Amino acid sequence: MPAASTSAPAGAIPVALPGPATFRRARVPWVLYATAGFIGLLVVVALSAPLLAPHDPERGSLRARLEAPTLEGADGRVHVLGTDQLGRDVLSRIIFGTRVSLTIGFAAVAVGGLVGGLLGLVAGFRGGWTDEVIMTVADAQLAFPFILLAIGIIAVLGPSFPNLIVVVGLSGWVTYARVLRAQVLSLRQRDFVSAILGLGGSIPRVLLRHILPNVASTFMVIATLELARAIVLEATLSFLGLGIQPPTPSWGGMIHEGREYLDSAWWISVFPGVVLMLTSLVVSRTGDWLRDVLDPTLRGE
Amino acid sequence: MEHEVRQADIPTVEALVNAFEAGSVSRRAFLRRAGLLGLTAAAAGALADAAAPRRARAQTTQKRDLVVAQGGDISKFDPHFSTSSNDIRVSFNVFDTLTSRHPDQKLYPSLATEWKATGPTTWTFKLRSGVKWHNGDPFTAADAKFSLERTYDPAAKTMVGTVFTTIDRIEAPDPTTLVIHTKKSDPLLPDRLAFYGGQIVPRKYLEQVGPDTFNAKPVGTGPLRLLSWTKDDKAVFEAFPDYWGGKIDVDSVVFRPIPETAPRVAAVLKGEVDAITQLPSDHWDRVNQNPTTRGVGALYAGLYVLGINAKVPPLNNQMVRQALSLSIDREAIVKDLYRGRAIVPNGPIAQGDRHYDPSLPPLKYDPRAARDLVKKSGYKNEPVVIETTIGYVAQDKVMSEAIAGMWKDVGLNAVVEVVEYSVRAEKNRNKTFKGLWWSDPTSTLRDPDGMMWRLLGPGGPQDYFRDPEWDELGNAARFSLDEKFRGEAYRKMTKIMLEKAFGWVIIMQPYEDYGLQRYVDFTPNPNQQFEVRRFNFRMRRA
Amino acid sequence: MRGLGGFLAYRLLRTLVALWLVSTVVFVVMRLSGDPVPLLLPPDAPISEMERVRHDLGLDQPLPVQYAVFLRNVVRGDFGRSIHFRQPAMDVARSYLVATFELGLVAFAIAVVVAFPVGVISAVRRNSLLDHTAMGFALIGQSAPTFFIGIVLILLLALRLDLFPTSGRGDWRHLVLPALTLGAFTMASIARITRSAVLEVLRADFVRTARAKGVAESWVIVKHTLRNAALPILTITGLQFGTLLGGAVVTETVFAWPGIGRLAIQSIYNRDYPVVQSTVFIAAVLFIVINLCLDVLYGVLDPRARA
Repeated sequence: MPAASTSAPAGAIPVALPGPATFRRARVPWVLYATAGFIGLLVVVALSAPLLAPHDPERGSLRARLEAPTLEGADGRVHVLGTDQLGRDVLSRIIFGTRVSLTIGFAAVAVGGLVGGLLGLVAGFRGGWTDEVIMTVADAQLAFPFILLAIGIIAVLGPSFPNLIVVVGLSGWVTYARVLRAQVLSLRQRDFVSAILGLGGSIPRVLLRHILPNVASTFMVIATLELARAIVLEATLSFLGLGIQPPTPSWGGMIHEGREYLDSAWWISVFPGVVLMLTSLVVSRTGDWLRDVLDPTLRGE
Repeated sequence: MEHEVRQADIPTVEALVNAFEAGSVSRRAFLRRAGLLGLTAAAAGALADAAAPRRARAQTTQKRDLVVAQGGDISKFDPHFSTSSNDIRVSFNVFDTLTSRHPDQKLYPSLATEWKATGPTTWTFKLRSGVKWHNGDPFTAADAKFSLERTYDPAAKTMVGTVFTTIDRIEAPDPTTLVIHTKKSDPLLPDRLAFYGGQIVPRKYLEQVGPDTFNAKPVGTGPLRLLSWTKDDKAVFEAFPDYWGGKIDVDSVVFRPIPETAPRVAAVLKGEVDAITQLPSDHWDRVNQNPTTRGVGALYAGLYVLGINAKVPPLNNQMVRQALSLSIDREAIVKDLYRGRAIVPNGPIAQGDRHYDPSLPPLKYDPRAARDLVKKSGYKNEPVVIETTIGYVAQDKVMSEAIAGMWKDVGLNAVVEVVEYSVRAEKNRNKTFKGLWWSDPTSTLRDPDGMMWRLLGPGGPQDYFRDPEWDELGNAARFSLDEKFRGEAYRKMTKIMLEKAFGWVIIMQPYEDYGLQRYVDFTPNPNQQFEVRRFNFRMRRA
Repeated sequence: MRGLGGFLAYRLLRTLVALWLVSTVVFVVMRLSGDPVPLLLPPDAPISEMERVRHDLGLDQPLPVQYAVFLRNVVRGDFGRSIHFRQPAMDVARSYLVATFELGLVAFAIAVVVAFPVGVISAVRRNSLLDHTAMGFALIGQSAPTFFIGIVLILLLALRLDLFPTSGRGDWRHLVLPALTLGAFTMASIARITRSAVLEVLRADFVRTARAKGVAESWVIVKHTLRNAALPILTITGLQFGTLLGGAVVTETVFAWPGIGRLAIQSIYNRDYPVVQSTVFIAAVLFIVINLCLDVLYGVLDPRARA
């Protein structure tokens, strides 16, 4: 599904969109640190949410509902970003929403990476039918409008944290699988590897010493781009009402709730959306820069 | 009708002129306010004169068509096959009932001109003569008999089969007389005939074309005759010129579905439609302050409640249930969430119903007492679950979260779960709710029998708890013709219900609001009956 | 390696298997989501009524039997009757497909028509305010979630400025906001690709040669840009169309656009299995067909890709 990162959606080998090539060598470290720093900042916010948030994100005063950003609300408090339809402070909810986005994001990436990596390895090593089957399943998943599958599964199983992590995680395994499979296939062709294998060397050792180091950097790039995509997918599911349920705050959920009040209290939807957009932007840029730095071979397929 | 506008709402001369043109402010008030804003008497007078023609025009029209936007599309024209409010609004205009409930909540003659209980189990109706169906056929008692019997005919498989279960048999001795025999004494039969299920359908035409064609090309006796229907777009009706009640004040009426709230409200504000239904309370002020529109509302003949599944712990604990009600700040919900477009009820009988007891105080809010009850009850922190939909009842999700917060404040482990309509329908059927759910019981007969008893009685759709004394009283009241006796019975039943806190956590009685252009003169009837007949609808003409 | 024919045959086989897999997954998931019968009948319908309806719909058979029936029908092109619409499910799905196509094509058209010139101009006027603004928007378009783009457009252009309707399908004005939303990612991507392609072209020698020869510079730029950018643009386009349904699901929900994406979601909630199956099938077929065409195009344009 588009609109998640600057590269192609899940499944395709990341097509490196040509960036300003002249900047590559000179600017990279600076920007990379900045974007990575932003991600770190988000993590800090998520971890210290109770300390940072000015108000309780789950309780508000009905008297102060739908208030524009104000220094003195009807409940006598400061609401820098306004209040929502139940009088809850928007800023506090955004801060706590960071927890949901990052938790599901990171966990989903881990799930996708593990499953995808494993399947890719298996496909690469075993070859033959196993490979065909795994690749066909990958095709099937890509042909599928995944959002519908996600909706269907969540509608069946219920929108809990674990279910969301699994669903979002499984939405992206194909990319990892393909990359890992390609690596394995190419390495298998190399003489020294077939020599090792021919001499009875164990697969795990080959894995550890030759394959993993080579894919590590690629994986990091993919993981970062996938993180952006996962965060947006979770927000999309929340927006459709299938994500984390009230009163737990989530960015997508806030945008969903604010939609009804768009004409009178636009801040409920807009502020979390801006934060979401920024996060998606920064994380995918990080991925792009990482790719430029670590693995220029990924450019241009 | 002038909507009194406050000083604070008119900060500038321009705003004052706008309000005057819209008719929100009388000429006298205008001159007074203009003075307060610094104008001389002469200047104010001149402004008023200049604005007068615009004022007259904004409040009148020469339109010969009425465009109405409702919150959903029509699904069925056959009045016996749907109880959805979007269909009821239409079918009550295409068809007539024998008796009709007017905005003053009294029963008036419609297709029946008079009626009397001619025996302990017999009602005799005199029917109107000279009434024509939309296709020109004459209306007779045979139609009425056919129509009522159809509702509970198992072969017809209608959706209103439970409305006339008290009827034993019907006779139509001559074209203008209908005799209905009931199984037991039924004092409420005329009331039953006024609401859904009571719409009369034509025997000859229906038998000729069959139910499917009838649904596609309905024929009734009502003031509107269907011309065309495009799904998801609009349904166009023409005013039936031979309507027995007199042709209404327009030539055609169009019903359009605009499911989303913001576009629907925008449509009336911008003048794209003449009337909208289901005006949410959050938009009430805006529609009234807009120069060309205003809101009208009728107190809903029913209540918004949370149904209680008293079989599930901790809801099987009476003290916990009592605490649920005591801990809800209904005033805050009505004032802040509903902007005043609701009232706090005093019991399970809706205001406006027969045997409503105005001497009872509004339901109490006492969080301290609630907290004590929770502690004394031996509550073990089991989750108290509200399974809410989004939009089944107005602002249900928001109210659920607010109420859950109030319950958490008194020490209950309150949880809100959002469920789909489909899931709600299934749980409702199988009585498998995890705790509480939203319901908007409708007082179909304007009588406690039609709401409290119908829903919470033994075997009813919300039967989760039984109290023998309550049941006995309910049964007796249902079949008694003595209103005094019935009143006493319902008073006692209310007391039992509030003490034992079963059935419902009663939240409020909302207004059913509509948004209208100021040139539409419409008096609403509660229960979604958007009828456009002469007694409650006309356009203001210059 | 293999010739184009063998390549295609192989892909076709894989395609059919994928389609089968997709259908099966949908079947299983939908059956698990619950019983649609209570939704069709009023709350106080008797059990016998429910049993009758269930039997009519064939839902009282054991699951493997239902699956076998389903497979047999699919092969014949029969996806059953929609439980909600009481019409053949495939007909329902197809009727809503038109709206989605309309949206998708317009979205794509707008994207190309706007993005291509913007990309060219941005490159030509590199580092100007226009360039930075355009690329800034492009960055946003690529990273902002589709639904949020939709919401912001509604807020600014429909609610505040009252230029367009907030939702629904009707005249051309109803198309603008949804098309912009759906095409945002594509538009942004094409703009960036074009810009880079033009930059590369500008740097190349043959431009100077052409200048020396007196050929109009802009014509050279455009011609070589097109050749350079063709493949990446094609990739993006292909992926876009393929995931059109995914993006459409969200866009159609935000704008209440009566297309196949919205139909799919409603049908999932209504547990209208036949319609869900039809929509997913259509989506999968579309995606696969388009990808197949793309692969063929690649094969033709770039012989290296065939290996």
